[in-house]
Amino acid sequence: MAGMVVKIIQIILSPILALITGVFFLGLARKIVARIHWRYGPPLIQPVIDIIRLFYQKSISHGGMFDLGIVLSLAGSIVVVLFLPFGQITPLSSSGGLLVILYIMLLAPLGIALSAGQGANPNISIGISRKLILSLGYEVPLLLVLLAVMTRYKTISIVQVVNIQQSTGWSLFSLPLFLSGLSYFLILPAILGIRPFDMASAPQEISSGPMAEYGGKYLALATIEHAFVLFISIALFVNLFLGGAANPVIFFVKMLVVFVFGLFIHAVFPRFRIEQAIKYLWKWPTLLAFVGLIITSFIRS
Amino acid sequence: MSLELVLIVAFGGALLTYLSGKISHSLRDSFAVIISLALAAIIACLYGEPVEKTFYSGFFGLGLVLRLNILSWLFAITIAVVGSLSIIFSLSYVKGKEKTDFYFLMMLLVNAAMLGVVLSGDLVSFYIFWEIMSWSAFLLISYNKGPALAAGMKYIIMSIIGSLSFLVGMLSLYVSFGTLNIPQIASVTTSASPGYILFILAAFSIAFGIKNAVLPFHTWLPDAHSEAPAPFSAMLSGILIKMGTYGFLLLLYVIIGLKLFLGIGSGLLSLHSMLCFLGAVTIIIPTFIAMLQKDAKRLLAWSTVGQAGYIILGIAFGTNLALAGGIFHFFNHALFKALLFLALGAVEFRTGTRDLDSLGGLAKKMPVVFIAALVGICALIGVPLTNGFVSKWLIYKTLILEGSPFLAFFALVGTWGTILYSYKLIHNVFLGQLPDKYKNIHKPPFSMQLPLIILSFAILLFGILPGIPLKVIDAIGTSFGFEPLNINLWGITSETGTLNTINIFSAVLVAGVIVWILFSLGAKSVSAAQENSYAAGAYTPSDKYHYTVEFYNPLHRMIKPFLRDVIDEFYYWIASSVRSLAGGVRHIYSGDVGCYVMYIILFLSLLIFVQMKWQVW
Repeated sequence: MAGMVVKIIQIILSPILALITGVFFLGLARKIVARIHWRYGPPLIQPVIDIIRLFYQKSISHGGMFDLGIVLSLAGSIVVVLFLPFGQITPLSSSGGLLVILYIMLLAPLGIALSAGQGANPNISIGISRKLILSLGYEVPLLLVLLAVMTRYKTISIVQVVNIQQSTGWSLFSLPLFLSGLSYFLILPAILGIRPFDMASAPQEISSGPMAEYGGKYLALATIEHAFVLFISIALFVNLFLGGAANPVIFFVKMLVVFVFGLFIHAVFPRFRIEQAIKYLWKWPTLLAFVGLIITSFIRS
Repeated sequence: MSLELVLIVAFGGALLTYLSGKISHSLRDSFAVIISLALAAIIACLYGEPVEKTFYSGFFGLGLVLRLNILSWLFAITIAVVGSLSIIFSLSYVKGKEKTDFYFLMMLLVNAAMLGVVLSGDLVSFYIFWEIMSWSAFLLISYNKGPALAAGMKYIIMSIIGSLSFLVGMLSLYVSFGTLNIPQIASVTTSASPGYILFILAAFSIAFGIKNAVLPFHTWLPDAHSEAPAPFSAMLSGILIKMGTYGFLLLLYVIIGLKLFLGIGSGLLSLHSMLCFLGAVTIIIPTFIAMLQKDAKRLLAWSTVGQAGYIILGIAFGTNLALAGGIFHFFNHALFKALLFLALGAVEFRTGTRDLDSLGGLAKKMPVVFIAALVGICALIGVPLTNGFVSKWLIYKTLILEGSPFLAFFALVGTWGTILYSYKLIHNVFLGQLPDKYKNIHKPPFSMQLPLIILSFAILLFGILPGIPLKVIDAIGTSFGFEPLNINLWGITSETGTLNTINIFSAVLVAGVIVWILFSLGAKSVSAAQENSYAAGAYTPSDKYHYTVEFYNPLHRMIKPFLRDVIDEFYYWIASSVRSLAGGVRHIYSGDVGCYVMYIILFLSLLIFVQMKWQVW
């Protein structure tokens, strides 16, 4: 019974923690980028203010799928959070493992794509087309990386991956997985959709792509969704390569370090064209991940 | 209930339907529906009792045997269900076309022949039903005339090559073992030499590979699927090509047997790993080709080739989990691909086109079809809570844990490619801007929507409670000599990774409800026409301005050079060389009698010369 209660508390707690972390990262990102650009930047809680304001603003809808898609997208992100270990908080991780995470991560972009697709705006479809091509681009190295991790630890459960690292050390610094970890870090900006890989939502070029028709609460939900995506992609990296963490605070610190590294790249690079992005993603990160997987499967057999 | 009843109802019913069509069309329609549903009901009742029955023994002393076991039951029920739904869909689809009596006769005949294939217990009856199936399928593919004739021709030529190969294998088995009864052959193959086994495998694999459209035998499929009438495309993709899958299962796990199959060759050169590799290639290349298609049904056809790769990969990998994944994927693919073909058939029925570049915005006009297509693509991608997810999960899991990460990589990348073409399909047909010419179209009739609703419901049901079909599939695995899996209603339990679809379902449901409440609490949104927001009320071009043509253009430019269908070009090269060779040979017939006399004298002198030189006679 006590275990049940703890589980329920964890299930309620972990999306809230994830949301706070994600929104904090959004604010932090604007502040850090501003400082690098020699500006002062908005206050840290600006995203919170924006979200609340947006909820009270009027918006337009283009039909049932337009509403349903954005709800599905955010719901999908929340469910992914439930499957990710956050420190030792592991609400649902025992009912599926890494493969399920990989697949539920699909719901978020799919929901946005379906919802925005209903908007019938050329900017939206260009944005979605770029987003899907980009995701195919980074999934190739990402899948190789994930397969290397799963092959190395002979499990598809992310909790076990974390537990093994707790006893044997970070997999980023273990010999066969070093290349995979490096590759993951190289594609992290693409997963997060930050510069130089923000062609899908390029604000100046295609009016933020999929976001073009969103306003009011739609934009608020999309911002929350973005916060979750930030959390998920970084948390996955921390869990797989930086050994997870014994408690949420250390986990948070690890995430922060990774995120700030990503921001430094974001702040100084210009945007790639989509073809350049694919060429980059399918060249170095894929090569590193590929070699990493070969070495891993050699060591195993 | 006896097995002959199935065949009597199936074949007799087909004939009866044809004859009743001469009296009245509505009588024929009700006959067709009743017979197909009756077949499904009879087969459902036959569950669980393995039966074997010799129904005719006069064929050169060989007994023609009907046999039902758990494997053939699963295939038979899938055939009966998808077949009856396609026939219900056909009712309005072919209304007003010519030769509808013939159409229904052929649909029921294909259905009956496929049931015959899976129910036959010896290779002779297998072959007879196989041929009936191939020929009636040919007539249905060509039903629409025009380009469909060429597609049908391509199909039947490749099919005949497959049949001949089957015949060679069958005759050789008869000569070596003196029997064609499947269980009897299975008991004697263990003593055969490895070379002979390899020969048998090659002969039958060509036959089943062509039917199952495995690379490099896939070239008939894209043409045939896109040109056939939509309800038959659903049957073709959903079940007819799966007769190849059934053949492979029979060949690898019953006739050859598991141990022998895994023992042929060693390392990377073993038969097992080569078949797996073939499956992986069959996943990856067609998936990328599918992204480039403009014709909705052609896109789905290429996707069928790709998905068949998963099934082959699962079956060939040869562990209990992989086999369960492969068979389950066959079952799921039958449901969701039939659903997608029927949904696009409904779109084509109303709009008269399946060109992805000119459709759009139909979601508001045909909401039921849109939701069905959405469920279909979700299952095709393998989004959790659809049945496609569970089967793919089983395949990936076993590939990863058994140490084949590269095969798993191919399978996973294939899935991500699937997302691209699936989204293109749903976006270009149902989302985006509605062209002016479709402003006044109606939703399709109820007889078209009903099969869509049933199939969508089945996909979600088996996605949330995968234990129902997995129980049957596990029984198939154990009948092949595998360890039973630990199956619950909601998935699979094991220490290396548990799947619990109920938990995922409840999580998605609760999260969805919470977000929906949050969404409804926000300020109300106003419904707005597209033109009002895009141009803020200012002038917008009256024709299409939405971006759907060449949807993945940057990717097109990068990958198109690598994606020529070299194999198809090769076959065409062979066909054209044979044609020109035959054209050359034709000139022998000059029509001049003196010339023919000269041929006779030349031939006789050749014979005399041969005899004098080598004394052969």
